[in-house]
Amino acid sequence: MEAIIKLTEITKKFKDRVAVDQVSTVIEQGELVAILGPNGAGKSTTIMMMLGLLEPSSGKVEVFQSHPKEKRVRSLIGAMLQEVSIIDALTVKEVIQLFRSYYPAPMSFDELVNLTGLEEKDLSKRAEKLSGGQKRRLSFALALAGDPYLLFFDEPTVGMDTISRKRFWLTIQELNRRGKTIIFTTHYLQEADDIAKRILLFNEGKIIEDGTPADIKRKLTVSSVSFVVNDLASLAWLKSLPYVTKVVEKDGRIYVETEQTDEVLTALFAGEHKVRGIEIHRGRLDEAYEQLTRKDDLQDESSIDAM
Amino acid sequence: MNPVLMQCKIEVLRIIRNPYFVFWSLFMPILFYFIFTKIFNVGGADQQEWQAHYLMSMATFSVMGSAIMTLGIRLVEERSKGWSMFMRLTPLSDISYFFAKMVGQTVIHVLSITVIFTVGALINGVSLTIGQWLLSGIWILLGSFPFLALGVLVGAMKKVDTASGVSNVIYMGLAIVGGMWMPIDVMPSFIQAISKWIPSFHFGSGAWEIVRGNYPSLLNIAILIGYLFIFVVLSLYIRRKQEVAV
Repeated sequence: MEAIIKLTEITKKFKDRVAVDQVSTVIEQGELVAILGPNGAGKSTTIMMMLGLLEPSSGKVEVFQSHPKEKRVRSLIGAMLQEVSIIDALTVKEVIQLFRSYYPAPMSFDELVNLTGLEEKDLSKRAEKLSGGQKRRLSFALALAGDPYLLFFDEPTVGMDTISRKRFWLTIQELNRRGKTIIFTTHYLQEADDIAKRILLFNEGKIIEDGTPADIKRKLTVSSVSFVVNDLASLAWLKSLPYVTKVVEKDGRIYVETEQTDEVLTALFAGEHKVRGIEIHRGRLDEAYEQLTRKDDLQDESSIDAM
Repeated sequence: MNPVLMQCKIEVLRIIRNPYFVFWSLFMPILFYFIFTKIFNVGGADQQEWQAHYLMSMATFSVMGSAIMTLGIRLVEERSKGWSMFMRLTPLSDISYFFAKMVGQTVIHVLSITVIFTVGALINGVSLTIGQWLLSGIWILLGSFPFLALGVLVGAMKKVDTASGVSNVIYMGLAIVGGMWMPIDVMPSFIQAISKWIPSFHFGSGAWEIVRGNYPSLLNIAILIGYLFIFVVLSLYIRRKQEVAV
């Protein structure tokens, strides 16, 4: 498979903080990647660097083996940015035709209208008079105008209603089936899980996990075994077990965090440990992700992720 | 269609659809022309000369306005709404985009000049030789370049409100002091002294000379080129500073 994007230790520093910290990754042709993470994690900043709209403070961004600002690269990509910006004084049809004229092999006008769900009656409207949802569709059409190989979507579903959202994701999956490489950012775990084939989990400017949705879910959720015991001192051995990650006491119960609950149970029953009231907890994914998110929301006030 | 050509066409469409352009650059000059040649007849002995003179004043006034205001404010709008950034993702280069804007403006100026000249010929029967019509049209077209550069300079401002306020003041100031509304002979002498140094007076002067059977003076040309140079250098300097700030 051909590497379409290659990030080599990219770092972006703004005046008072590091938005992206030593990120390296490779994205190959045909991938459908979600950049997932709480607000301020560096998702948008990373996308902006991939698009060549921001220069990394250090490190190297390669898109189609070139600098993203190259004209050749720009004729191969399409993007929908977070802020919907629409040229004024033109009708929807005129804007789309204008954008089609920029590219060597544009997508046909009818197909653009079809894929993005723009309605016939909207085509003759002035772009600035569209509703928020219609503007989103137009932005989507502009991103697709050049029939690009590589597509970027920065928080694409913000402000979309449920039906538009569903339709949008179906289109994205269809485009991916046609062989287009797609990268989108989201802070909804559910979206990343449902749509993406690969998730890059961002937190505090770093990729903290990289894998399939199933991998990420397994790593994010923590299982544990809890019980009551009289003699706390005799528990030291538990911590030394290779499959135990943490032993904590809470409300008179001992919690043993582990991925292998069966092994912990076997070990507990093997000796004379006098444990009572054993329970197994299967960690919930959304809770685990929320915890990650909540921690960051506190610092989010000064976030410059949105640029 | 070729992208640059398409972009030019689109820019022309956008200007024509802009209500401010239609009001300031077509409606106002024509209204003024009507008022000051038909209702209050300010012209002295030579009626015909005054009608031709004031036609040139209004044509230069119109073109100067769209060069400074229409262009400048639109540039600020495009940047503040994130449109300029979005354009950088397309294969159309910054230079092509800028070029298309200038071509679009120039086409619009040709249109404004034609409309205003036609109005003059129709309502006052202003009659000039073909050579004079053509030469004054070309003079106004070329003379608009320093004002386009001033428009680009206005376009470097951050907020649309500031840009429209500032450009309005500059535009009116240049028009009045440059003698476009009233000949500078009726102004106090200190204003006349300032007039000699500002671009709008020399812009108008060239055209006023042409309708009198003369040619624009070298001083007219030199001052306009001088201002063009200053505005371009300033724009480039500000642009570089803004790029570093990112």
